[in-house]
Amino acid sequence: MFPRAINQSGRLMPAIALCLLALTPKAWSHAVVTESSLTSHPVKPNHPTKVVLFFNSGVELALSRVFLVSKGDVFHPVNIANGKKAGEMLVDIPPLEPGDYALKYKVFAADGHFTENVIRFRVDNP
Amino acid sequence: MFIQGLANFIDDFLGGLMLISYALIVGSLIWAAWILRIWDRSSAGAGAPEPVVAICVRILKAGAITLAAMQGTKLLIKGLLLAATLGDFPLGAYMGTVQFIAGLLRFILSCGFIYLAVQLSAAPRNRSAWNTAAVLTVPLVISGAWLVHGVGRFEHREQLMVMTVIHQLAAAVWFGGVAQLLFLWHTRRSEQAAHEFWPLAITRFGWLGAASVLLLVSTGLPLAIEYIGSLDGLFGTGYGALVATKVALMGGALYFAYRNRKAGKEWKLRGASADLTGKVPYFIEAETFVLVGVLFVAATLSSQPPSVDIKDTTATVSEVAYMFAPRLPKISSPTHEQLLAGEAGRVAVVDKVPSVAATEWSDYNHNISGIFLTGMCLVAMLSYTGRFRWTRYWPVGFIGLSIFLFFRSDAETWPLGPIGFWESTFGNGEVFQHRIATLLAFLLGVMELRARTRPDADRLRYMFPVLSAFGGILLLTHSHAEFELKSEYLIQSTHTAMGLLAVVVASGRWLELRLAAAPASSSRTVAGFDEGHVAGFLSILAMFVIGNFLMFYREPLY
Repeated sequence: MFPRAINQSGRLMPAIALCLLALTPKAWSHAVVTESSLTSHPVKPNHPTKVVLFFNSGVELALSRVFLVSKGDVFHPVNIANGKKAGEMLVDIPPLEPGDYALKYKVFAADGHFTENVIRFRVDNP
Repeated sequence: MFIQGLANFIDDFLGGLMLISYALIVGSLIWAAWILRIWDRSSAGAGAPEPVVAICVRILKAGAITLAAMQGTKLLIKGLLLAATLGDFPLGAYMGTVQFIAGLLRFILSCGFIYLAVQLSAAPRNRSAWNTAAVLTVPLVISGAWLVHGVGRFEHREQLMVMTVIHQLAAAVWFGGVAQLLFLWHTRRSEQAAHEFWPLAITRFGWLGAASVLLLVSTGLPLAIEYIGSLDGLFGTGYGALVATKVALMGGALYFAYRNRKAGKEWKLRGASADLTGKVPYFIEAETFVLVGVLFVAATLSSQPPSVDIKDTTATVSEVAYMFAPRLPKISSPTHEQLLAGEAGRVAVVDKVPSVAATEWSDYNHNISGIFLTGMCLVAMLSYTGRFRWTRYWPVGFIGLSIFLFFRSDAETWPLGPIGFWESTFGNGEVFQHRIATLLAFLLGVMELRARTRPDADRLRYMFPVLSAFGGILLLTHSHAEFELKSEYLIQSTHTAMGLLAVVVASGRWLELRLAAAPASSSRTVAGFDEGHVAGFLSILAMFVIGNFLMFYREPLY
């Protein structure tokens, strides 16, 4: 039914697909936090802390933002970096007084969707 | 922030339109190969006549133009969304994303298809242009692999990407073929060749459709297992619920496909079939409504995290069932002052305090809307007895409902609240969708009222199913503010169910109207029921169930 050229390209399709899959850089999709170091290592008062967020997939770091939210919903941008493993994000938390806080993250996943969410945490007196 | 909500909503909506236009392109190529047999060099005369090929080219061209427009718009919208969300616009970083590159590739490819479609419009049998189009289809299909969930998985990444691409391809073949049948039928009045080719197209597409369904199921099942993983994941998350909705819609589409195939087989055996021209075209139209719903659900799926990734925030089946359980509707509302008093705490990030007043306000809105709709449906059902002329006026309820929604939907915005009308409409995706829903209810009421009370309003009758389908799509893509995945999902579960039923409302009413015009002999089933009336009654019944869901709605406190 198809002419020879198209027949050949049809047979080549799986090969082309595999080549493209092999050549493409790893990228990540719809990102939600599955775990955070806040659970196992609570933030100590007046100490700078590196919080680790574990995403279900990687995120585009350059297109993502994390904010520390303090009482009265005051937003402070914080530095973020990639962790050791895929899907890990390191968040620099400045020294904090005891009280209630939140991390608000806006991350861009490779499937092109933004995920916005909030992680609430508490800094207790020692 | 002003445009973020609107951009988010449009982004999801464009996804559905892109899947439709992609299906029109890919489906047209497969249609040209297997149904029209344009590459057939034998002298058996199995190939389609040129006017029929020209119809195929028109759809290919429409698909290409739409995909280019949608893909281009999506890239821009995504940029706007980035700028609005991040407060700045890192253009270089954006252009370096796989999403942007894959999207740009699709845009360029669709522009290529436009060029080829223009050439084919002038010469529908231009073999060289068809060959180039077939070759271009390969990267178009493959580029989809970088626009799906699979691209970001840590495990089985390549397999999931390939599986999703095959799944999309199968859907494109089915939808694209149905679209071709639809246009072939509508061209038959002006084109004798289309009229003669119609039975052949139906019988040939039977096999192709069956193969595409088989491929859809065989790729969809492993994808669902991988992304959902459990029964709670299926019914307790947005992703799972949308997959379940997709399966339900597919079931409806398969029923229509079965009826079409049956008529085709009858024609092949006996050389004639009353259903082939009396019913099948209308089944295909109804099937189109359902398949459009499927594609929008598929697009919405991409904006949901897979169920397996949010086990901690997955609702149990019993929690979901509670959302639909019958209870007394709430017919008293908190005051506007009480509502506004709790708003600051409700939207706070750190010191969040759930607002009972906001929950009760929302319950009241939904429950009263449900009473409106249920009452309307009871009167509409009564109209099927043919005894009470006044029952024709049941659509007035929609107008009343729209006025109620306008004042109550978003209390913090104009006319009741301090936030301006335009600012709230375009600054918040949820408010934007509520405004569209309100306008939709008003239009439904006005148009359906005229259609049912004025004999000269023939064309207006078809607006009801069209607007119902649009309303269904709106419900299926409806999003509430994020941050409370489980509570959001419990709300979304009711909206998803209502969206599914709205598609039933649309296709049922459409069939009723279309079959009413069919010859009396062909509008009856073997059991002696008038199929048009059955479809119409099912449509009202689906609307009645939506009314019930609204009437019993209870928002979780969050």
